Amino acid sequence: MFTRDILWPAVIGLVLMYLLPFVTDAYTLTVLTAYAMLALSLGFIWGFAGILCFGQAAFFGLGAYAFAIASINIGTPWLPFFIAILVPALFAAVFGAVLFYGRLSDVYLAVVTLVMTLILFKFMNSSAGDGYKLGTARLGGYNGIPGFETLTVPWDPSEYLYDTSLYYFAFGLLIVVYICLRLLLRQPFGRALVGIRENELRAELMGYDIRLLKTIAFSIGAGVAGLAGCLYANWAEIVTPALFSLGQSAEIIIWVIVGGAGTLMGPVIGAALLGYTKFLLGQQSVVDNTFILGVILVLAVLLLPNGIFPALASIVRRAMAKLSPGRALGRGRARRSRRLSSQALAIEDASSKSAKSGPDAGRHERRTLPPDQGV
Amino acid sequence: MRNVEVEVRGLTMQFGGVRALDQVDFELGRRELRCLIGPNGAGKSTFFKCLSGLLVPTSGEIRIRGETTTGWLPHRIARLGIGIKTQVPSVMNGLTVRENIWLAARREHTTADANRMAASIAARVLVDDVLNEQVETLAHGKRQLVELAIVLAGKPWLVLLDEPAAGLTAVEVDRMIEVIRDINSEAALIIVEHDMHFVRRIASQVTVFNQGRVLIDADVEEVMSNPDVRDVYLGKQL
Repeated sequence: MFTRDILWPAVIGLVLMYLLPFVTDAYTLTVLTAYAMLALSLGFIWGFAGILCFGQAAFFGLGAYAFAIASINIGTPWLPFFIAILVPALFAAVFGAVLFYGRLSDVYLAVVTLVMTLILFKFMNSSAGDGYKLGTARLGGYNGIPGFETLTVPWDPSEYLYDTSLYYFAFGLLIVVYICLRLLLRQPFGRALVGIRENELRAELMGYDIRLLKTIAFSIGAGVAGLAGCLYANWAEIVTPALFSLGQSAEIIIWVIVGGAGTLMGPVIGAALLGYTKFLLGQQSVVDNTFILGVILVLAVLLLPNGIFPALASIVRRAMAKLSPGRALGRGRARRSRRLSSQALAIEDASSKSAKSGPDAGRHERRTLPPDQGV
Repeated sequence: MRNVEVEVRGLTMQFGGVRALDQVDFELGRRELRCLIGPNGAGKSTFFKCLSGLLVPTSGEIRIRGETTTGWLPHRIARLGIGIKTQVPSVMNGLTVRENIWLAARREHTTADANRMAASIAARVLVDDVLNEQVETLAHGKRQLVELAIVLAGKPWLVLLDEPAAGLTAVEVDRMIEVIRDINSEAALIIVEHDMHFVRRIASQVTVFNQGRVLIDADVEEVMSNPDVRDVYLGKQL
């Protein structure tokens, strides 16, 4: 069960978890971890199920708000923790069922999910005043909801999880969620998802109910995004409508593209790197922050069309091949030549191929499963 | 009385002002091999899409093994045990041949069985030499065979093939015919085909479509010598 593709990320993850605090403070690292979790959720549904959701921020925000509201009403933080995952997951299950059973195609799906985010943004912004209360929690409009109970150590309710302990908790969760998604993708369910991404028609003709499978995947993605929102709420100790903003939605997609859509690790790296870059840029006032991030996106798309992670992986593979020529060269060479021939063919029949949607339209190498995922 | 497994009554498909199918009646017996021929725009493919659930007919009724499937979604029809090969090979390009067949087999079988089936079916349609290749790297003829393997992995009792010989080399056509005969030993087939030589070689009952209607429904030799059919295919040598 725990083969190399699970074991290595887990080991490297754990090592990084202990090393990163030497690079920067735990406070910054915690929010980066929450972002990474959010990117992971979109990386899963977009990269593997082929669902381009432009409104992943909605589930992020819902998770954060669900935690804050539940925490104020219940008074203890652990039940709200699970509510923060369940609320977005259920919301996505209903919303996704409407979209997928209604046979909404990709572009429309992206637009509708974006609109949903903006509606939530508008609503939360205009929810000031006594009229907007859920139980004892006031939604607070533009100012959001402050002052809710944050997570405590499970066996010691007087000890709050904050700063370093919150960072380790968040990072640990990120590793666990990553492994769970990897295992899920190895199940027949996960393979069917990849099949749907590759060819919806064929999956249907095989007898798979793609509406159901996509709805489930969408809901799982929303649950993970909700978890990210919950971590964010615990870090910020306040939730505001900005969580649902257009900027937030766009940023998630940029993280995934730059990191490498079609992989799980790529989005995590993309979110962490871009999040940290944004944080560093925020400390200077010479150049506009968003301008630089825009430049990074353009450069990444032009120079690393598959994203940072796939590019890194191929460099590492090549280096390994050089270090131990006897063992790895043959494999590396075979893989490279196969990739080249696949590219050549892709160009050849590009005209006959119908337009494909999804993050990997026209990018061929990325669509394969990792080698050790073979059946 | 022969055993009717597919029964179509009064099937009509209207696209705006165009009537692609006009009151089509059709019957298919158990383990029968039927070819659908006809000029471009005769309604063969539309008929095919109505059968497989890709199109919902304007009116009429389709009964498959006693179930009225009119208006069913493709995956539900496929689950009855019907395998469908589309005109342009519809395969999962980014996956390997093995993964493609495995996915088709896994829906109704356990993982272990699906693993075994993937290997045995690949050998049956002669794509076992490229089992671990990515499908998009394969030549067109191989991809046609991969799609057939996918269809077979569903263990169908009825197989719909849309132009299986299109774009194949002579050698590949021979292989395709072998595979079709093999399939026919345990399943019924409906084959849409343009190539009359191909139809003749798998010699069977032929249904000729013309302008959305069934022109004639008879044995292949009878169809070939029919003057109406010759008119429809004007100038084409049969």
